Amino acid sequence: MLSIRDLAKAYGDVVALRGVSLDVPAGSVVGLLGPNGAGKTTIVSIVAGLRRPDAGTVTVNGIDALARSQQARRLVGLAPQELGVYPTVTVRENLVLLGELAGLRGRRLARRIDEVAAALLLDDLLGRLVHTLSGGERRRLHTAMALLHRPPLLLLDEPTAGADVHTRASLVQVVRDLAAEGSAVLYSTHYLPEVEDLQADVALVLDGRVIAAGPLKDLVATHGTAAVELTFDGPAPALRLDGEPATVDGSRLRIVTGDPTACAARVLGELRTGSHRLRSVELIRPSLNSVFLTLTGRQYSDEPAVPR
Amino acid sequence: MSGLSLRPSLAIGRHHLRVLRRDPMPVTILVGMPLAVMAFIQPALRFFVTAEGYPDATGAEQAVPGMAVLFAFFLPAFVGFGIFHEHGWGTWDRLRASPASSWQIIIGKVLVPAGAAVIQQAALFGAGVVFFQLRIRGSVGALALVIAALTCCLVALGVATASLCRTVQQVNAIGNLGAMVFGGIGGALVPVSLLPAWAQAIAPATPVYWAMRGFRAVILDGAGVTGVLLPAAVLLAFAAALTLLALWRLRFDQVKFWA
Repeated sequence: MLSIRDLAKAYGDVVALRGVSLDVPAGSVVGLLGPNGAGKTTIVSIVAGLRRPDAGTVTVNGIDALARSQQARRLVGLAPQELGVYPTVTVRENLVLLGELAGLRGRRLARRIDEVAAALLLDDLLGRLVHTLSGGERRRLHTAMALLHRPPLLLLDEPTAGADVHTRASLVQVVRDLAAEGSAVLYSTHYLPEVEDLQADVALVLDGRVIAAGPLKDLVATHGTAAVELTFDGPAPALRLDGEPATVDGSRLRIVTGDPTACAARVLGELRTGSHRLRSVELIRPSLNSVFLTLTGRQYSDEPAVPR
Repeated sequence: MSGLSLRPSLAIGRHHLRVLRRDPMPVTILVGMPLAVMAFIQPALRFFVTAEGYPDATGAEQAVPGMAVLFAFFLPAFVGFGIFHEHGWGTWDRLRASPASSWQIIIGKVLVPAGAAVIQQAALFGAGVVFFQLRIRGSVGALALVIAALTCCLVALGVATASLCRTVQQVNAIGNLGAMVFGGIGGALVPVSLLPAWAQAIAPATPVYWAMRGFRAVILDGAGVTGVLLPAAVLLAFAAALTLLALWRLRFDQVKFWA
């Protein structure tokens, strides 16, 4: 459904994308995962027709989305990263506008509004003015506005940013249902657990590049090493452990191991003089986090957003 | 839905109307305020209009079209606010990512201000006849033609203003300043013949001058449609020039700031 090839984009001197290639087949969810500033929003914006790339191609269901943007946009539903709702009118009136723009009218539009509102727990709020809604309710409306026309390609850019647990759970369920109905979903997020919840395919983005892509299980199986990480007050001591590579990074000592629990016990026994400076011990299991660690040599960080 | 269809524009226009229904104050003021000012200035303007050679004038011949045109030139800012609101609410990118083309969006955004301009003019001229003894000697069709041409000019000026501004404060300042300066120099406050020579010389460079010339020709001189063709054509030429400016300057991906 979505095919991106060699996408490049710079904002002046700041390079946002350095040759991104990515596929999102129909009926699948691809979690576009990366720390803030990695280039996720730029990818989504280009696919949605909001920005022009400096190089590369984007096709949506075989349509060149850069040359025939308007035609491609008919197949796309976008929930941008920034909340985009009309606060002075009702929830229903917000949905009516986006539905009409997507070509829905009359009973079909009314039925879709009811369906989408039910799926995102907005059915009791349709008559409410949007400025009276809570943050989570607005976030659900924001996403609902992208779903009305059952877009074959759904672009969700940080859809759960600032959302409560309730909202997050309903959004994840809706995304799963849409994919089950055949939509392709590109789900940009910087929360690792969300992608794990979705059991989505993953494209890990860092510094404007896709550094790894594939089904979550495959990535974890291939790159998701287990490790023990110890943090000290001051420089970490150098330890020698037979057969288990240890690296020192400032105050952190990381030991890659097949069995982090047993390894932690051994390391604590070996520490001796350094033990009084030990601040924390972390057992790292094979996961997306450890995939990121293996591929980049650093812990995944989801610090507050600096959107790109 | 083709790129030439008006359906997306109508959807945006209907939505704008819903937004306006929740907050009708700005448009209400643009009709109510000139009516109040007319009541104050009509007696004084009677002196000026009779001095121009219309002995049976009531002053409404200048007060009504003058205030109608002066306050019409606050509407371009209304167009700009409509576009800047979308940026402030984060909905501009939603519209751009929809199947609507950029120009379908802009047409949708000017539909309600254009309707407001027509309603404003009709309400003010109607109120002028009922409450201020305005006598329209010429054809109502000619009056409608000038109103239509003026409306095109107003919405084009609004889009051009929005294209040139980055912040809503700039729209506000340019809108207010433009209305007052154009209104003063163009003869909306007092007849152009009473302005200083330098102002009379530059008055035709303002659309207000041509709107007033058209309205006064219908009201005072009994002009029909042919009698207002020149003012209407000049107003449409202003509209065309402003549209070209907007086409040149408007960047749909430009970040604009509501606050």
